[in-house]
Amino acid sequence: MTRDCHEHQHCLEMFEKLSEYIDGELDHATCDEIEKHAKNCVACFSCMETLKRTVALCQKVEDQAIPREFSKKLKEIIQNLPKTTTPL
Amino acid sequence: MTAEKNQNRKIVKDSDFDLIQAINSGQADKFHDLVKRYEQKLYNFSLRMCRNPSDAEDMVQDTFLNVFKYLKNFRYETKFKNWLYKVAASTCIKKRRKSKFAPDKELSLDEFLPNDEAEKPDNVPEWAMLPLDKLLNEELSGVINKTILELPKKYRVVIVLRDIEGFSTAETAQILNLSPSNVKVRLHRARLYLRDKLKGYFENDP
Repeated sequence: MTRDCHEHQHCLEMFEKLSEYIDGELDHATCDEIEKHAKNCVACFSCMETLKRTVALCQKVEDQAIPREFSKKLKEIIQNLPKTTTPL
Repeated sequence: MTAEKNQNRKIVKDSDFDLIQAINSGQADKFHDLVKRYEQKLYNFSLRMCRNPSDAEDMVQDTFLNVFKYLKNFRYETKFKNWLYKVAASTCIKKRRKSKFAPDKELSLDEFLPNDEAEKPDNVPEWAMLPLDKLLNEELSGVINKTILELPKKYRVVIVLRDIEGFSTAETAQILNLSPSNVKVRLHRARLYLRDKLKGYFENDP
């Protein structure tokens, strides 16, 4: 795989569509084309796998706990709100 | 809205439907239950949108106050969670307009194109192949959170809503008042930016 290969139209087209491919937002024909290309282009395959992994890591990142003090403060603010919601 | 349009209006009955009905029917004290349901998620969304915990707390507080103010006007045309994030995103944008932020930097697709030096041709890096649970630790979570904060806000909000909060492309587009294709473009660039940073992190890992 060389830089020239990545300037190849096929590689560029695939590169642009990788996220949509990962998200299952492409039609079957385009998916088949991408998979066929990735089988023969290790750099594109590597790019696809590292991007898939990036998405998977993002999905797994854990949330922080809300600070207790802030949660308590929110509760107090809510308690002081009017006793009914009113249409604007 | 005409009576006919009202009749044809689609009502989304999600898990918050009954609670919101109760609040809007006079049981405003139940608003706290709604806050408890979402404060954790909203706090983390705000932390990822703001650069410090104090601003994040302000954003959460303002969002809930706005939600209370406008709840009676909520028409159940979408899931409540989507509407909540729309209010949160709008609160965040309004706060930003009031401060002196520089305009968002544009991320170009060209800057992420793999090249010969960076992308070895004959293998996929180990970090893309290892089981996720062997890879993700506190340090890596910190790198991901820090990198997300580096992203220009218009890209950051999209990757946070799509990949962390789990909204679909259509939902994200609705929350941010963007076209689905615009969401896709921003998401792809944000992911590529994060991927590049992760590559750098793993390549420099001794």
